[in-house]
Amino acid sequence: MFRKFGLSMFSRRRFLGDALAAMGAASASGLTTRVLASEKMIKIGFLAPLTGPVAAWGKPGLDGCQIWAEWINAAGGVKLADGNYTVEFVGYDNEYDPAKARTGATKLVREDGVKFIMMLGGDTWPGAQPVADKTGMLFSTLLPSDLGPDTGTLLAPAEVHPIYNVTGVEWLAENKPDLKTAVMCAQDDALGLPSVATYLAAFEAAGIEMQDAPLLFDPATTDFAPVVTKLLSTNPQIVCLDTCYSDYVHPIAEQLFQQGYEGQIISCTADFYDQMIEKTSVEFMEGFVFQFPDFDDPALNADGINFANPNKFFEEYNKRHPGEWGAVSWEYAAIMDLWKAAAEKAGSAEPDAVLAAMKEGGKGLHAFGEADWWGKDLFGIDNALVGNWPVVVIEGGKARIKGFKSIPEWYAKHGDLLKKHMAAYGQMWDQRA
Amino acid sequence: MMVELLAQTGLNAIYAASYISLIAVGLVLIFGVMGVINFAHGELYMAGAYAVVALYADLGFPFLVAIAAGLVFVGMLGLAMERALFRPLRDNPLGGLVASIGFLMVLQALAVMGFGVRMEHVPPVTQEVIVFSDKVRLAVPRLYVILAALVLLSALWLFLKKTRFGWALRASAQDPEAAALQGISITQTARIAMFIGAGLAGIAGALTAPLVSVNPHMGHSVIVTAFIVIIVGGVGSLEGAVVASVAYAFVHTFVTTFWDGVIADIVGLSLMLVVLIVRPTGLFGTADRA
Repeated sequence: MFRKFGLSMFSRRRFLGDALAAMGAASASGLTTRVLASEKMIKIGFLAPLTGPVAAWGKPGLDGCQIWAEWINAAGGVKLADGNYTVEFVGYDNEYDPAKARTGATKLVREDGVKFIMMLGGDTWPGAQPVADKTGMLFSTLLPSDLGPDTGTLLAPAEVHPIYNVTGVEWLAENKPDLKTAVMCAQDDALGLPSVATYLAAFEAAGIEMQDAPLLFDPATTDFAPVVTKLLSTNPQIVCLDTCYSDYVHPIAEQLFQQGYEGQIISCTADFYDQMIEKTSVEFMEGFVFQFPDFDDPALNADGINFANPNKFFEEYNKRHPGEWGAVSWEYAAIMDLWKAAAEKAGSAEPDAVLAAMKEGGKGLHAFGEADWWGKDLFGIDNALVGNWPVVVIEGGKARIKGFKSIPEWYAKHGDLLKKHMAAYGQMWDQRA
Repeated sequence: MMVELLAQTGLNAIYAASYISLIAVGLVLIFGVMGVINFAHGELYMAGAYAVVALYADLGFPFLVAIAAGLVFVGMLGLAMERALFRPLRDNPLGGLVASIGFLMVLQALAVMGFGVRMEHVPPVTQEVIVFSDKVRLAVPRLYVILAALVLLSALWLFLKKTRFGWALRASAQDPEAAALQGISITQTARIAMFIGAGLAGIAGALTAPLVSVNPHMGHSVIVTAFIVIIVGGVGSLEGAVVASVAYAFVHTFVTTFWDGVIADIVGLSLMLVVLIVRPTGLFGTADRA
């Protein structure tokens, strides 16, 4: 509480002390700035919601990027053909508003001279797309549903939401084959609907019967008791929470607990699952399946993981932002790993050179292993980096990776199912257009 | 099975009616006495929830203390709004509305600055559940909300019907000029209305804080529902607000359970449109503000 309104800060002595310290710090930082001014620097744009209801999928990513930048700069920066460059992130809060995304993209390109812009995407991509078309700037999104044949400079290099959700269902079917019935709820928006289609395809592929049509709710919903009552009315073995925002996952889980549910839960995310456990119980949350690991997971130290020092990153993140680790805390930093590797390969930070280097050979090093540039079938363009994705299960109150499953392998077997359900929900790229 | 489903849905609807009516009655009271549509009412609800976050979740005060503090704190916020915003704009209802929109943004910004943008975690007050049958359950924190709404709305009814202050409020609501000629202080009644109206929103937020996602934008969804309810009930009618809250909550909850949450929203809005067409003043409204 009162993180910014310190209660005891206004004594005169304290004020003077703070003022002197601030002056000292300002002098020191001025010195630092002068030193850094002699270095070569690359600016990277971070155009995402930093405030507002969707900030949880923007702000933690910028926090992660700051750690990434500090570590990379301390190690010598980005090594290009004409020397080493330090990296600085320029944030712009688009508040998940397309108009503000357009203003922000223009500002980042024209005023700040950034070489690459990372976005959450979704509703804000249509705002930024004209800027991408006009300037050829390289953008990234976390939501590949933004991709289309005409988005040549937009990449989805970190996550292929919601396609990776198939891995959780596949794991569940392999490890708990007795579970044969499911129900699902989701918010009725651009994030919820493609995920609904994906889960429907995954359940169908796994031979799990949907007992009812997915229950869609208004994103403004605050009381989830009626939603949960409906979900439980058919006695399902699995309750799927789709890609609900944390603001929904928590109260829905609490309602499931209060209404006596004792079955399996699967969800795309379980951000702050420790709080869910406090509101329910360790026993209730046991076996909860989702897709986003804590980065202190030992499985992330295995060969083939392309994220530097994941355990240390997790520790440092939690030290700086206690209790704020979430699904996107690592993702933007992982995108920067790819960008850095491509820029160094190209010897240049120019967007077209980096894009060409990144996609060369049709393969890339995703955080969770080698992956393919993929997506023409589903998105109309091969600009999504797809490979393995972890399946995470809560055991004894702690999230642990239970395995990595291949998205392309699943798609090779069940791609038609996915396309069928995506089309039914109007989520294919040509339908969105 | 169907009986159990109906019973559980009924319990859900009673809970929804309880917190909606607390918010809507406060909104109606402010409009009735002051003639101002308080767009910041949802943010007063949010402020009540943050009072619980600060006092109960962060500082460890007992939940009841946090709730009482929430009521008083938000009531005082209401008094501050009356003095700083609505009194200078007493003859300009549109100005009051615009000022309340500005105050809404101020409250949201303060919440963001003080607590951050993310939802706050409020530990459960209790995990006790009243089990009527395997499929019919009522969590005790939800029971608290129902009981609080019953007690507070009954108390408000008695206050308005049986006390001199209550008569003064009703007189001011019916005809401010005539009330002033009878020696009733319009300023004083406005203060009382604002304190009670804001306090009701605050206590609704405080009571539901452990049950919902507390975030700086949580006021948006409840204010939309509250506006639907007061339009259906009759703008300015306290009885109408309560009846409409119950009707809306039952319709929305049952439609969500038996069809879909999105359809429930459409049905709720359609209900409002039908009432406006058939009875433009609302179920309990009159042509004049009352």
